[in-house]
This record gives sequence, C-alpha cells and structure tokens, in this order.
Amino acid sequence: MKNGFAIFMIFLMIVGFGVILMKSSGNASGNAVIGGEGSGNTQEVTLSFKNYNYYPNTVTVNVNQPVRIYLDNSVGGCYRSFTIRDFGIAKYLSTPSDYIEFTPTKTGSFRFACSMGMGTGTLIVK
Amino acid sequence: MSLKQFLNEVNGKERVEGELIKAILYSLLVSFGLFAILYYFSLRHIEDFIPKYGFFIFLVILSYAVILPSIRQVRAYQNFACMSGMMIGMTTGMIAGFLPGFFIGSTNGMFWGSVFGMGIGIFIGVWNGKCCGIMGVMEGLMAGFMGGIMGAMTAVMMINDNLRIAGVVVFVISSLIVFALNYMIYKETKELPRERTEDYTLIVFLSLIFTALTLFFMIYGPRSVLFA
Repeated sequence: MKNGFAIFMIFLMIVGFGVILMKSSGNASGNAVIGGEGSGNTQEVTLSFKNYNYYPNTVTVNVNQPVRIYLDNSVGGCYRSFTIRDFGIAKYLSTPSDYIEFTPTKTGSFRFACSMGMGTGTLIVK
Repeated sequence: MSLKQFLNEVNGKERVEGELIKAILYSLLVSFGLFAILYYFSLRHIEDFIPKYGFFIFLVILSYAVILPSIRQVRAYQNFACMSGMMIGMTTGMIAGFLPGFFIGSTNGMFWGSVFGMGIGIFIGVWNGKCCGIMGVMEGLMAGFMGGIMGAMTAVMMINDNLRIAGVVVFVISSLIVFALNYMIYKETKELPRERTEDYTLIVFLSLIFTALTLFFMIYGPRSVLFA
C-alpha cells in the first residue's frame, strides 16, 4: 500500500488527539431541591440557567400542595417559555417576578421543559 | 468495477486521487500542530478548556481534513459538465457549511454558528462550484447558506439531547458524502487528463486559516444569549 505510512499517521493523530481532546465535560446539572415554603402553604421554586439547562434540573415537591415556579434573570430565550405537559402547564414567564402556579395532584416523576424541548428537567412529586 | 479502480487510484501515484490521503494527513498535521502550539502557550490557561471545547475542536479539525482535499481534486481537473459541477458545488457547500455551523453552534449559539457556517460553506461551495460556471456557483451559494443555518440550528436544538453523539453521527455521515463526491469526480474524469499539478501549499494554508479562525471564534468570538 503506497499510502500506508500516511494512513498510519492519520490514524495515530486521530487516536492521540482524540484521547486528549474528547475528555467529557462534567455533568450538565442536577442538584435536587425541595420546594421552599412561600406565603401560606405554597412551595416556591426558583430555577436559573447553568450549563445550557435549567438549574437545578431536578425539583422535589409535595403532592396536593400548591407549587409556584419562578425563572430568574439568568434564564433567557425560549427557556423562559416553561411547560410541564403532564399538568397542562405552558406559560411564557417574561420577567423574574412572573410565575406559574399549580397543585400537583398525583405522585411520580414528571418532565418539565422549555417549549422547544431544549432545556429539560424532572419534577418529582412525593 | 469503477469503485475498485477508484480505491486503487487512492493508493496510486499518477492521478490526483492518489494525493487525497496525503492531503488529509497534511491538513491534520497543520491543524493539530497549530492547536498544540496555541494550547501550550495560551489556551491551557483557560478554565475548563478541554471539557468545554476539546470535543468540538477535535471534530472540527477532522472536518476540515475531510473537506479540503476535495478542493484539490476539483482544481486538478478544472472543468466539469454542468450537472457534475452543480453536484460538486452543492455537496461541498452543504458539508462545508453544515459541519463548522454545527460545531460553532454548539459553543457560541445559533446566530453565530449560522454566520460562521454560512461564511465557510458559501466560500468553499462557490469556489468549488465555479468549475462549471454560474450554475455551480449558484449551487455553492445556496448550499453553503442552507448548510450553515441547518448545522447551527441542529446543534442548538440538541444541546440537552445527546449533542456530542449527534456531532459524531453528523461527522461520519458527512465524511461518507465527501467520499462519495470524490468517487463521483473520479468517475466523471477518469478518461480526462489532469489539468493542474500543484503541491500541498493550498491545503496547508487553508487548514491553517480555517483552524485558526474556528479556534478564535469558538473561544473568543461573540455568543448568543444562551451561551453568554
């Protein structure tokens, strides 16, 4: 093979630099929080934006107790259009003082996401 | 069978196809060399540099190494029929727009990924497409424009959905398409004499420029809101 040496060198470079450069980044996000008590019996959660996703992206709340979710200033673009399909929630939270409020009536894990599905997370109802 | 003949020519010395592997090698040498130098003197001081950018830089360097040899192959024969030239302009424009758009889109967001991808895609698409005149130029222009936007859009839409695996899939499929293009050019020109013989200066120069531009844009370039 006349190009044998060239092919060998290409292979060597791809493997060598691949090992160095393809080190995976840290996990995107994922601290779990339990919704804090707000006024009355409401559980309040404020999500921010970190590593291209909601942070924290796992939220634990209590069943049959109202939940209020805010998005802080760091959340931008389509991420402000917040949805939880299982609870029929879809709302654009244009400012940090806007919120969505709902009462989870069933336990389990539910996906929350922006309207385009780029930012995602899990709502755990206990 | 012409595919077998093509593979033989890739290992041969007489036609330009025999220089494709060497062109890939020189492109990789220059790009990785430039990256290694910049990393040693400057980039290693950036916090989380390798975890944040390493994967995308690796794939974008491989992408240029795959795309650029087709320029050499087209330049070797210079004139093509309209249909072939349009396919050449479209394929190179699309792939050269999509891949940089995808990788810049992964680190800088959709707008800047699109702008960068379109720039590279249109430049290479038009350059390669002009081998058959205005139709090839138009194909290169349109494909570069479309590829740049599509690449960046795909990357941004996949940010939280296996972006890195998608990057590998996109790169592998693009490489197969470019290989098919190399084969098509061989089929169209196997009876024709070679019009131009040149050394590897152009490949080295383009690899250097594109890699430097991409690194600069990826690390220090403007970012969309989500990536700020």
